[in-house]
Amino acid sequence: MAYDPITRITVDQLSVRYDLQLERVISVREYAIRRLRGERFPSQILWPIRDVSFTVQAGESFGIVGRNGAGKSTLLKVIAGIVPPTLGRVEVRGQLSPLLELGAGFDMELTGRENIQLYGTLLGRRSRHLRARIEAIADFAELTPFVDVPLKNYSSGMVARLAFAIATDSDPEILIVDEVLSVGDAPFQRKCEERLARFRARGVTILLVTHSLALLTETCSRAVLLEPGRPCVVGSVNEIAARYAERTGG
Amino acid sequence: MNGAEATPGTYDRTPPVWGGPGAPGRYFDLLHNLVSRAIKQRYKRSVLGFAWTMLNPLMTMLILTVVFSAVFGAVVPNYPLFVIVGLLAWNLFSLGSTQGLASVVDSGALIRKVAVPKEMFPLAAVGANLVNFLFSLIPLLFVMLVMRVSITWAVLWVPVGVFLIGLFTLGVALALTTLNVFFRDVRYFYDAALLAWFYGTPIFYPIEVLSPRARAILQWNPLYVLVDVFRTPIYAGTAPAPAIVITAAIEAIGMAVVGWLIFRRYQARFVDYI
Repeated sequence: MAYDPITRITVDQLSVRYDLQLERVISVREYAIRRLRGERFPSQILWPIRDVSFTVQAGESFGIVGRNGAGKSTLLKVIAGIVPPTLGRVEVRGQLSPLLELGAGFDMELTGRENIQLYGTLLGRRSRHLRARIEAIADFAELTPFVDVPLKNYSSGMVARLAFAIATDSDPEILIVDEVLSVGDAPFQRKCEERLARFRARGVTILLVTHSLALLTETCSRAVLLEPGRPCVVGSVNEIAARYAERTGG
Repeated sequence: MNGAEATPGTYDRTPPVWGGPGAPGRYFDLLHNLVSRAIKQRYKRSVLGFAWTMLNPLMTMLILTVVFSAVFGAVVPNYPLFVIVGLLAWNLFSLGSTQGLASVVDSGALIRKVAVPKEMFPLAAVGANLVNFLFSLIPLLFVMLVMRVSITWAVLWVPVGVFLIGLFTLGVALALTTLNVFFRDVRYFYDAALLAWFYGTPIFYPIEVLSPRARAILQWNPLYVLVDVFRTPIYAGTAPAPAIVITAAIEAIGMAVVGWLIFRRYQARFVDYI
Protein backbone atom coordinates (compact mmCIF):
# COMPACT_ATOMS: atom_id res chain seq x y z
CA MET A 1 0.00 0.00 0.00
CA ALA A 2 1.30 3.39 -0.97
CA TYR A 3 2.14 5.76 1.82
CA ASP A 4 -0.73 8.12 2.27
CA PRO A 5 0.66 11.29 3.79
CA ILE A 6 -2.32 12.34 5.83
CA THR A 7 -2.62 12.95 9.49
CA ARG A 8 -4.80 10.28 11.02
CA ILE A 9 -4.92 11.52 14.58
CA THR A 10 -4.46 15.04 15.87
CA VAL A 11 -4.41 15.64 19.60
CA ASP A 12 -3.99 19.34 20.27
CA GLN A 13 -3.56 20.69 23.79
CA LEU A 14 -5.94 18.09 25.15
CA SER A 15 -6.95 18.20 28.80
CA VAL A 16 -9.48 16.01 30.51
CA ARG A 17 -10.98 16.84 33.85
CA TYR A 18 -12.66 14.45 36.23
CA ASP A 19 -14.64 15.67 39.17
CA LEU A 20 -14.40 13.06 41.88
CA GLN A 21 -17.39 14.48 43.72
CA LEU A 22 -19.45 14.00 40.60
CA GLU A 23 -18.60 10.37 40.53
CA ARG A 24 -20.07 9.86 43.94
CA VAL A 25 -23.60 8.64 43.75
CA ILE A 26 -25.87 11.29 45.13
CA SER A 27 -29.53 10.75 45.82
CA VAL A 28 -32.34 13.25 45.64
CA ARG A 29 -32.80 12.79 49.38
CA GLU A 30 -29.16 13.49 50.16
CA TYR A 31 -29.15 16.43 47.78
CA ALA A 32 -32.24 17.94 49.38
CA ILE A 33 -30.90 17.49 52.93
CA ARG A 34 -27.59 19.11 52.08
CA ARG A 35 -29.30 21.97 50.31
CA LEU A 36 -31.57 22.61 53.29
CA ARG A 37 -28.61 22.60 55.65
CA GLY A 38 -26.89 25.02 53.34
CA GLU A 39 -23.96 22.68 52.82
CA ARG A 40 -21.80 23.10 49.77
CA PHE A 41 -20.87 20.28 47.45
CA PRO A 42 -17.11 20.27 47.60
CA SER A 43 -15.59 18.93 44.45
CA GLN A 44 -12.27 17.34 43.97
CA ILE A 45 -10.94 18.16 40.55
CA LEU A 46 -8.54 15.80 38.90
CA TRP A 47 -6.83 16.24 35.55
CA PRO A 48 -5.82 12.79 34.32
CA ILE A 49 -4.71 14.42 31.07
CA ARG A 50 -3.10 17.81 31.05
CA ASP A 51 -2.15 19.63 27.87
CA VAL A 52 -1.21 16.67 25.70
CA SER A 53 -0.39 17.24 22.02
CA PHE A 54 0.77 14.92 19.26
CA THR A 55 -0.12 13.84 15.74
CA VAL A 56 -0.05 10.41 14.16
CA GLN A 57 0.47 10.07 10.40
CA ALA A 58 -1.10 7.43 8.20
CA GLY A 59 0.75 4.14 8.32
CA GLU A 60 2.63 5.10 11.44
CA SER A 61 2.73 3.07 14.63
CA PHE A 62 2.65 5.36 17.61
CA GLY A 63 3.20 4.34 21.20
CA ILE A 64 1.74 5.67 24.44
CA VAL A 65 3.72 4.90 27.57
CA GLY A 66 3.42 5.91 31.17
CA ARG A 67 2.94 4.41 34.56
CA ASN A 68 -0.42 3.37 35.94
CA GLY A 69 -2.60 6.41 36.48
CA ALA A 70 -0.73 8.53 33.94
CA GLY A 71 -3.87 8.83 31.83
CA LYS A 72 -3.12 6.36 29.06
CA SER A 73 -6.52 4.67 29.12
CA THR A 74 -8.33 7.98 29.38
CA LEU A 75 -6.40 9.26 26.37
CA LEU A 76 -7.43 6.22 24.33
CA LYS A 77 -11.04 6.65 25.40
CA VAL A 78 -11.02 10.25 24.26
CA ILE A 79 -9.60 9.26 20.88
CA ALA A 80 -12.15 6.45 20.59
CA GLY A 81 -14.98 8.92 21.28
CA ILE A 82 -16.04 7.48 24.64
CA VAL A 83 -14.86 10.28 26.96
CA PRO A 84 -15.41 13.86 25.76
CA PRO A 85 -12.40 16.21 25.86
CA THR A 86 -12.66 18.96 28.46
CA LEU A 87 -10.25 21.31 26.69
CA GLY A 88 -8.36 21.12 23.43
CA ARG A 89 -9.03 19.47 20.12
CA VAL A 90 -9.03 15.85 18.97
CA GLU A 91 -9.41 14.89 15.32
CA VAL A 92 -9.58 11.39 13.94
CA ARG A 93 -9.44 10.80 10.17
CA GLY A 94 -10.22 7.28 9.02
CA GLN A 95 -12.06 4.13 9.99
CA LEU A 96 -11.12 3.44 13.59
CA SER A 97 -11.20 0.10 15.36
CA PRO A 98 -10.61 0.28 19.11
CA LEU A 99 -9.19 -2.85 20.69
CA LEU A 100 -9.79 -1.65 24.20
CA GLU A 101 -11.99 -3.05 26.93
CA LEU A 102 -12.40 -6.10 24.74
CA GLY A 103 -15.61 -7.95 25.31
CA ALA A 104 -17.42 -5.11 27.09
CA GLY A 105 -20.93 -5.75 25.89
CA PHE A 106 -20.78 -9.51 25.93
CA ASP A 107 -23.79 -11.14 27.50
CA MET A 108 -22.80 -14.29 29.35
CA GLU A 109 -26.26 -15.81 28.98
CA LEU A 110 -26.11 -15.64 25.19
CA THR A 111 -24.25 -18.02 22.90
CA GLY A 112 -21.05 -17.25 21.02
CA ARG A 113 -23.02 -16.75 17.83
CA GLU A 114 -25.47 -14.34 19.49
CA ASN A 115 -22.61 -12.45 21.10
CA ILE A 116 -20.86 -12.03 17.76
CA GLN A 117 -24.02 -10.27 16.61
CA LEU A 118 -24.46 -8.23 19.77
CA TYR A 119 -20.85 -7.13 20.19
CA GLY A 120 -20.41 -6.57 16.47
CA THR A 121 -23.42 -4.27 16.24
CA LEU A 122 -22.26 -2.43 19.36
CA LEU A 123 -19.05 -1.71 17.45
CA GLY A 124 -21.17 -0.32 14.62
CA ARG A 125 -21.15 -3.23 12.18
CA ARG A 126 -24.09 -4.49 10.17
CA SER A 127 -25.94 -7.69 11.13
CA ARG A 128 -25.88 -8.98 7.58
CA HIS A 129 -22.11 -8.60 7.39
CA LEU A 130 -21.62 -10.25 10.78
CA ARG A 131 -23.76 -13.25 9.86
CA ALA A 132 -21.50 -13.85 6.88
CA ARG A 133 -18.40 -13.59 9.08
CA ILE A 134 -19.47 -15.86 11.97
CA GLU A 135 -17.55 -18.90 10.73
CA ALA A 136 -14.39 -16.90 10.07
CA ILE A 137 -14.55 -15.23 13.49
CA ALA A 138 -15.22 -18.50 15.33
CA ASP A 139 -12.44 -20.15 13.37
CA PHE A 140 -9.88 -17.49 14.24
CA ALA A 141 -10.91 -17.67 17.90
CA GLU A 142 -10.59 -21.48 17.70
CA LEU A 143 -14.12 -21.78 19.02
CA THR A 144 -15.96 -23.32 16.07
CA PRO A 145 -17.36 -26.29 18.09
CA PHE A 146 -18.57 -23.98 20.85
CA VAL A 147 -20.21 -21.24 18.83
CA ASP A 148 -23.70 -22.25 19.99
CA VAL A 149 -22.74 -22.62 23.65
CA PRO A 150 -23.60 -19.82 26.11
CA LEU A 151 -20.62 -17.69 27.08
CA LYS A 152 -21.05 -18.50 30.77
CA ASN A 153 -19.69 -21.95 29.96
CA TYR A 154 -16.57 -20.54 28.28
CA SER A 155 -13.26 -20.16 30.07
CA SER A 156 -12.02 -16.59 30.45
CA GLY A 157 -9.39 -17.29 27.78
CA MET A 158 -12.08 -18.40 25.35
CA VAL A 159 -14.10 -15.24 26.02
CA ALA A 160 -11.01 -13.08 25.43
CA ARG A 161 -10.21 -14.90 22.19
CA LEU A 162 -13.73 -14.39 20.91
CA ALA A 163 -13.61 -10.69 21.79
CA PHE A 164 -10.29 -10.24 20.00
CA ALA A 165 -11.53 -12.14 16.95
CA ILE A 166 -14.66 -9.98 16.66
CA ALA A 167 -12.88 -6.68 17.29
CA THR A 168 -10.17 -7.35 14.70
CA ASP A 169 -12.52 -8.79 12.09
CA SER A 170 -12.75 -5.53 10.22
CA ASP A 171 -10.82 -3.46 7.76
CA PRO A 172 -9.74 -0.46 9.82
CA GLU A 173 -7.46 2.42 8.90
CA ILE A 174 -6.64 3.10 12.52
CA LEU A 175 -6.25 0.53 15.25
CA ILE A 176 -6.16 1.37 18.94
CA VAL A 177 -4.45 -1.40 20.89
CA ASP A 178 -4.53 -1.44 24.69
CA GLU A 179 -2.40 -4.27 26.04
CA VAL A 180 -4.60 -6.81 24.38
CA LEU A 181 -1.70 -8.92 23.32
CA SER A 182 -2.02 -10.64 26.67
CA VAL A 183 -5.04 -12.52 25.34
CA GLY A 184 -5.17 -16.30 25.53
CA ASP A 185 -2.27 -18.73 25.66
CA ALA A 186 1.09 -18.41 23.92
CA PRO A 187 0.07 -19.86 20.53
CA PHE A 188 -2.99 -17.61 20.42
CA GLN A 189 -0.87 -14.61 21.39
CA ARG A 190 1.38 -15.32 18.45
CA LYS A 191 -1.69 -15.42 16.23
CA CYS A 192 -2.79 -12.05 17.55
CA GLU A 193 0.65 -10.58 16.96
CA GLU A 194 0.63 -11.96 13.42
CA ARG A 195 -2.72 -10.38 12.76
CA LEU A 196 -1.49 -7.04 14.08
CA ALA A 197 1.68 -7.31 11.98
CA ARG A 198 -0.48 -7.94 8.93
CA PHE A 199 -2.50 -4.81 9.68
CA ARG A 200 0.73 -2.85 10.03
CA ALA A 201 2.10 -4.18 6.76
CA ARG A 202 -1.12 -3.08 5.08
CA GLY A 203 -0.45 0.47 6.21
CA VAL A 204 -2.91 0.59 9.08
CA THR A 205 -2.12 3.30 11.60
CA ILE A 206 -1.60 1.83 15.05
CA LEU A 207 -1.88 3.50 18.42
CA LEU A 208 -0.35 1.20 21.01
CA VAL A 209 -0.47 1.40 24.78
CA THR A 210 1.96 -0.88 26.50
CA HIS A 211 4.20 -1.33 29.50
CA SER A 212 6.53 -3.54 27.50
CA LEU A 213 9.47 -1.51 26.19
CA ALA A 214 10.47 -4.42 23.98
CA LEU A 215 7.10 -4.45 22.24
CA LEU A 216 7.17 -0.66 22.04
CA THR A 217 10.55 -0.37 20.33
CA GLU A 218 9.78 -3.30 18.07
CA THR A 219 6.40 -1.95 16.93
CA CYS A 220 6.50 1.82 17.03
CA SER A 221 8.53 4.57 15.43
CA ARG A 222 7.46 7.40 17.71
CA ALA A 223 5.81 7.62 21.11
CA VAL A 224 4.51 9.90 23.80
CA LEU A 225 5.41 9.61 27.49
CA LEU A 226 2.68 10.58 29.92
CA GLU A 227 3.53 11.46 33.50
CA PRO A 228 1.21 12.89 36.12
CA GLY A 229 2.11 16.46 36.96
CA ARG A 230 4.64 16.87 34.17
CA PRO A 231 4.31 17.97 30.56
CA CYS A 232 4.09 15.11 28.11
CA VAL A 233 7.10 14.32 25.95
CA VAL A 234 6.83 13.27 22.32
CA GLY A 235 9.81 11.79 20.52
CA SER A 236 11.39 8.91 18.71
CA VAL A 237 10.68 5.55 20.26
CA ASN A 238 14.23 5.06 21.49
CA GLU A 239 14.30 8.41 23.17
CA ILE A 240 10.96 7.79 24.89
CA ALA A 241 11.88 4.26 25.90
CA ALA A 242 15.09 5.53 27.46
CA ARG A 243 13.27 8.25 29.37
CA TYR A 244 10.61 5.85 30.56
CA ALA A 245 13.20 3.32 31.70
CA GLU A 246 15.00 6.08 33.58
CA ARG A 247 11.79 7.21 35.30
CA THR A 248 10.74 3.76 36.36
CA GLY A 249 14.22 2.90 37.46
CA GLY A 250 14.30 0.08 34.92
CA MET B 1 -8.78 25.53 37.62
CA ASN B 2 -9.40 26.21 33.97
CA GLY B 3 -9.47 29.81 32.91
CA ALA B 4 -12.75 31.39 31.97
CA GLU B 5 -11.34 32.14 28.52
CA ALA B 6 -10.83 28.46 27.75
CA THR B 7 -13.18 27.05 25.13
CA PRO B 8 -14.61 23.58 25.64
CA GLY B 9 -12.84 20.66 24.00
CA THR B 10 -13.85 19.41 20.58
CA TYR B 11 -13.92 15.91 19.17
CA ASP B 12 -14.19 15.44 15.44
CA ARG B 13 -14.08 12.19 13.59
CA THR B 14 -14.51 11.29 9.93
CA PRO B 15 -16.10 8.92 9.20
CA PRO B 16 -18.14 9.58 12.35
CA VAL B 17 -18.66 6.78 14.86
CA TRP B 18 -22.39 6.59 14.51
CA GLY B 19 -23.08 8.94 11.62
CA GLY B 20 -22.71 9.06 7.86
CA PRO B 21 -24.85 7.44 5.20
CA GLY B 22 -24.84 3.92 6.69
CA ALA B 23 -25.84 5.08 10.16
CA PRO B 24 -29.59 4.33 10.14
CA GLY B 25 -28.94 0.71 9.24
CA ARG B 26 -26.33 0.33 11.96
CA TYR B 27 -28.66 1.91 14.52
CA PHE B 28 -31.40 -0.46 13.49
CA ASP B 29 -29.19 -3.55 13.74
CA LEU B 30 -27.96 -2.57 17.19
CA LEU B 31 -31.50 -1.84 18.38
CA HIS B 32 -32.65 -5.19 17.03
CA ASN B 33 -29.89 -7.00 18.92
CA LEU B 34 -30.53 -5.12 22.17
CA VAL B 35 -34.26 -5.77 22.00
CA SER B 36 -33.83 -9.45 21.25
CA ARG B 37 -31.34 -9.76 24.11
CA ALA B 38 -33.83 -8.17 26.51
CA ILE B 39 -36.55 -10.57 25.38
CA LYS B 40 -34.29 -13.60 25.63
CA GLN B 41 -33.22 -12.55 29.12
CA ARG B 42 -36.82 -12.35 30.14
CA TYR B 43 -37.85 -15.74 28.88
CA LYS B 44 -34.76 -17.75 29.60
CA ARG B 45 -35.06 -17.16 33.31
CA SER B 46 -38.67 -18.00 34.02
CA VAL B 47 -40.05 -21.50 33.84
CA LEU B 48 -43.36 -20.48 32.41
CA GLY B 49 -41.62 -18.30 29.83
CA PHE B 50 -44.02 -16.87 27.32
CA ALA B 51 -47.02 -18.15 29.18
CA TRP B 52 -46.28 -15.71 31.97
CA THR B 53 -46.63 -12.66 29.72
CA MET B 54 -50.09 -13.88 28.81
CA LEU B 55 -51.15 -15.12 32.23
CA ASN B 56 -50.09 -12.03 34.11
CA PRO B 57 -52.66 -9.61 32.61
CA LEU B 58 -55.35 -12.30 32.80
CA MET B 59 -54.70 -12.82 36.49
CA THR B 60 -54.67 -9.11 37.28
CA MET B 61 -57.86 -8.76 35.28
CA LEU B 62 -59.48 -11.55 37.29
CA ILE B 63 -58.51 -10.00 40.59
CA LEU B 64 -59.75 -6.54 39.60
CA THR B 65 -62.96 -8.06 38.24
CA VAL B 66 -63.64 -10.00 41.41
CA VAL B 67 -62.99 -6.96 43.56
CA PHE B 68 -64.63 -4.23 41.50
CA SER B 69 -67.31 -5.75 39.28
CA ALA B 70 -69.85 -5.31 42.06
CA VAL B 71 -69.06 -1.61 42.06
CA PHE B 72 -68.47 -0.85 38.39
CA GLY B 73 -70.07 -3.87 36.71
CA ALA B 74 -73.44 -2.18 36.56
CA VAL B 75 -72.02 0.94 34.88
CA VAL B 76 -69.57 -0.83 32.60
CA PRO B 77 -70.80 -3.67 30.41
CA ASN B 78 -68.21 -6.38 29.70
CA TYR B 79 -66.23 -5.18 32.67
CA PRO B 80 -63.41 -7.78 32.39
CA LEU B 81 -62.72 -6.69 28.81
CA PHE B 82 -62.75 -3.02 29.86
CA VAL B 83 -60.18 -3.84 32.54
CA ILE B 84 -57.81 -5.94 30.47
CA VAL B 85 -57.65 -3.45 27.58
CA GLY B 86 -56.80 -0.68 30.02
CA LEU B 87 -54.30 -2.89 31.84
CA LEU B 88 -52.39 -3.78 28.68
CA ALA B 89 -52.05 -0.12 27.78
CA TRP B 90 -50.98 0.67 31.34
CA ASN B 91 -48.44 -2.16 31.43
CA LEU B 92 -46.89 -1.02 28.18
CA PHE B 93 -46.38 2.41 29.68
CA SER B 94 -45.39 1.48 33.23
CA LEU B 95 -43.02 -1.39 32.37
CA GLY B 96 -41.49 0.48 29.43
CA SER B 97 -40.86 3.63 31.44
CA THR B 98 -39.57 1.76 34.52
CA GLN B 99 -37.12 -0.32 32.52
CA GLY B 100 -36.23 2.66 30.36
CA LEU B 101 -35.46 4.64 33.52
CA ALA B 102 -32.95 2.03 34.68
CA SER B 103 -31.49 1.36 31.23
CA VAL B 104 -28.64 3.88 31.10
CA VAL B 105 -27.34 3.21 34.61
CA ASP B 106 -27.67 -0.53 34.09
CA SER B 107 -25.63 -0.24 30.89
CA GLY B 108 -23.05 1.92 32.65
CA ALA B 109 -20.18 -0.50 32.20
CA LEU B 110 -20.82 -0.58 28.49
CA ILE B 111 -21.21 3.18 28.10
CA ARG B 112 -17.87 3.72 29.82
CA LYS B 113 -16.13 1.30 27.48
CA VAL B 114 -17.68 1.44 24.03
CA ALA B 115 -18.50 4.42 21.82
CA VAL B 116 -22.18 3.63 21.49
CA PRO B 117 -25.16 5.95 21.05
CA LYS B 118 -26.60 6.05 24.55
CA GLU B 119 -30.18 6.67 23.50
CA MET B 120 -30.20 3.08 22.24
CA PHE B 121 -30.65 1.78 25.79
CA PRO B 122 -33.93 3.49 26.70
CA LEU B 123 -35.09 2.91 23.13
CA ALA B 124 -34.38 -0.83 23.46
CA ALA B 125 -36.15 -1.02 26.84
CA VAL B 126 -39.29 0.52 25.36
CA GLY B 127 -38.92 -1.60 22.21
CA ALA B 128 -38.68 -4.82 24.20
CA ASN B 129 -41.86 -3.93 26.05
CA LEU B 130 -43.60 -3.22 22.76
CA VAL B 131 -42.75 -6.75 21.65
CA ASN B 132 -44.04 -8.17 24.93
CA PHE B 133 -47.13 -6.08 24.51
CA LEU B 134 -47.78 -7.73 21.15
CA PHE B 135 -47.66 -11.15 22.83
CA SER B 136 -50.09 -9.96 25.47
CA LEU B 137 -52.64 -9.24 22.75
CA ILE B 138 -53.24 -12.99 22.68
CA PRO B 139 -54.98 -13.08 26.10
CA LEU B 140 -56.90 -10.00 25.01
CA LEU B 141 -58.23 -11.86 21.97
CA PHE B 142 -59.06 -14.75 24.26
CA VAL B 143 -61.15 -12.51 26.52
CA MET B 144 -62.93 -10.98 23.52
CA LEU B 145 -63.72 -14.47 22.29
CA VAL B 146 -65.06 -15.62 25.64
CA MET B 147 -67.17 -12.49 26.06
CA ARG B 148 -68.38 -12.69 22.46
CA VAL B 149 -67.28 -9.17 21.63
CA SER B 150 -66.73 -8.80 17.92
CA ILE B 151 -63.88 -6.98 16.27
CA THR B 152 -64.87 -4.05 14.08
CA TRP B 153 -63.05 -1.99 11.49
CA ALA B 154 -62.27 0.46 14.26
CA VAL B 155 -59.51 -1.96 15.24
CA LEU B 156 -57.40 -0.22 12.60
CA TRP B 157 -57.03 2.55 15.18
CA VAL B 158 -55.25 0.20 17.58
CA PRO B 159 -51.78 0.61 16.02
CA VAL B 160 -52.21 4.38 16.29
CA GLY B 161 -52.94 4.06 20.00
CA VAL B 162 -50.03 1.68 20.55
CA PHE B 163 -47.66 3.95 18.66
CA LEU B 164 -48.70 7.02 20.64
CA ILE B 165 -48.42 5.22 23.99
CA GLY B 166 -44.99 3.91 22.93
CA LEU B 167 -43.85 7.39 21.94
CA PHE B 168 -45.06 8.90 25.20
CA THR B 169 -43.37 6.10 27.16
CA LEU B 170 -40.12 6.74 25.30
CA GLY B 171 -40.25 10.43 26.17
CA VAL B 172 -40.80 9.66 29.85
CA ALA B 173 -38.03 7.04 29.76
CA LEU B 174 -35.54 9.46 28.17
CA ALA B 175 -36.24 12.14 30.76
CA LEU B 176 -36.19 9.80 33.76
CA THR B 177 -33.13 7.83 32.70
CA THR B 178 -31.22 11.12 32.49
CA LEU B 179 -32.38 12.10 35.97
CA ASN B 180 -31.50 8.65 37.29
CA VAL B 181 -27.89 9.08 36.19
CA PHE B 182 -27.53 12.00 38.57
CA PHE B 183 -29.87 10.85 41.36
CA ARG B 184 -30.01 7.12 41.88
CA ASP B 185 -33.09 7.10 44.06
CA VAL B 186 -35.27 8.43 41.25
CA ARG B 187 -36.50 4.94 40.58
CA TYR B 188 -37.99 4.63 44.07
CA PHE B 189 -39.74 7.95 43.72
CA TYR B 190 -41.01 6.86 40.35
CA ASP B 191 -42.33 3.54 41.67
CA ALA B 192 -44.38 5.45 44.22
CA ALA B 193 -45.50 7.96 41.59
CA LEU B 194 -46.55 5.12 39.28
CA LEU B 195 -48.82 3.67 41.94
CA ALA B 196 -50.57 7.02 42.34
CA TRP B 197 -50.66 7.42 38.57
CA PHE B 198 -52.34 4.04 38.19
CA TYR B 199 -55.17 5.01 40.51
CA GLY B 200 -55.40 8.39 38.82
CA THR B 201 -55.96 6.84 35.41
CA PRO B 202 -59.28 5.24 34.43
CA ILE B 203 -57.94 1.72 34.04
CA PHE B 204 -60.30 -0.29 36.22
CA TYR B 205 -62.99 2.36 36.67
CA PRO B 206 -64.93 4.38 34.09
CA ILE B 207 -64.39 8.12 34.11
CA GLU B 208 -68.17 8.57 34.47
CA VAL B 209 -68.07 7.50 38.13
CA LEU B 210 -65.92 10.48 39.04
CA SER B 211 -67.25 13.80 40.24
CA PRO B 212 -67.11 16.66 37.70
CA ARG B 213 -64.29 18.19 39.68
CA ALA B 214 -62.22 15.01 39.70
CA ARG B 215 -62.88 14.63 36.00
CA ALA B 216 -61.60 18.14 35.35
CA ILE B 217 -58.39 17.29 37.18
CA LEU B 218 -58.08 14.03 35.27
CA GLN B 219 -58.03 15.93 31.99
CA TRP B 220 -54.49 16.84 32.95
CA ASN B 221 -53.43 13.21 33.10
CA PRO B 222 -51.91 12.57 29.67
CA LEU B 223 -52.45 8.84 30.01
CA TYR B 224 -56.20 9.28 30.15
CA VAL B 225 -56.50 10.19 26.46
CA LEU B 226 -53.68 7.86 25.42
CA VAL B 227 -55.40 4.87 27.01
CA ASP B 228 -58.66 5.97 25.45
CA VAL B 229 -57.24 5.97 21.91
CA PHE B 230 -56.27 2.34 22.44
CA ARG B 231 -59.32 1.23 24.40
CA THR B 232 -62.23 2.68 22.44
CA PRO B 233 -61.67 0.77 19.16
CA ILE B 234 -61.40 -2.55 21.00
CA TYR B 235 -63.83 -2.14 23.83
CA ALA B 236 -66.54 -0.02 22.17
CA GLY B 237 -65.75 -1.04 18.62
CA THR B 238 -65.84 2.57 17.46
CA ALA B 239 -63.20 5.02 16.35
CA PRO B 240 -61.89 7.29 19.12
CA ALA B 241 -63.13 10.88 19.00
CA PRO B 242 -60.93 13.09 16.77
CA ALA B 243 -60.35 15.54 19.61
CA ILE B 244 -59.04 12.69 21.78
CA VAL B 245 -56.70 11.43 19.05
CA ILE B 246 -55.32 14.90 18.40
CA THR B 247 -54.77 15.56 22.11
CA ALA B 248 -53.08 12.19 22.50
CA ALA B 249 -50.82 12.85 19.52
CA ILE B 250 -49.80 16.27 20.84
CA GLU B 251 -49.04 14.81 24.26
CA ALA B 252 -47.06 11.87 22.90
CA ILE B 253 -45.02 13.93 20.46
CA GLY B 254 -44.54 16.69 23.03
CA MET B 255 -43.30 14.26 25.68
CA ALA B 256 -40.97 12.55 23.21
CA VAL B 257 -39.47 15.90 22.18
CA VAL B 258 -39.04 17.08 25.77
CA GLY B 259 -37.49 13.74 26.81
CA TRP B 260 -35.16 13.81 23.85
CA LEU B 261 -34.03 17.39 24.53
CA ILE B 262 -33.31 16.60 28.19
CA PHE B 263 -31.39 13.47 27.23
CA ARG B 264 -29.37 15.25 24.52
CA ARG B 265 -28.52 18.09 26.87
CA TYR B 266 -26.90 15.89 29.52
CA GLN B 267 -25.77 12.74 27.76
CA ALA B 268 -22.16 13.86 27.24
CA ARG B 269 -21.80 14.01 31.03
CA PHE B 270 -23.20 10.53 31.67
CA VAL B 271 -19.82 8.91 31.37
CA ASP B 272 -18.57 10.81 34.45
CA TYR B 273 -21.45 9.72 36.64
CA ILE B 274 -22.07 6.06 35.85
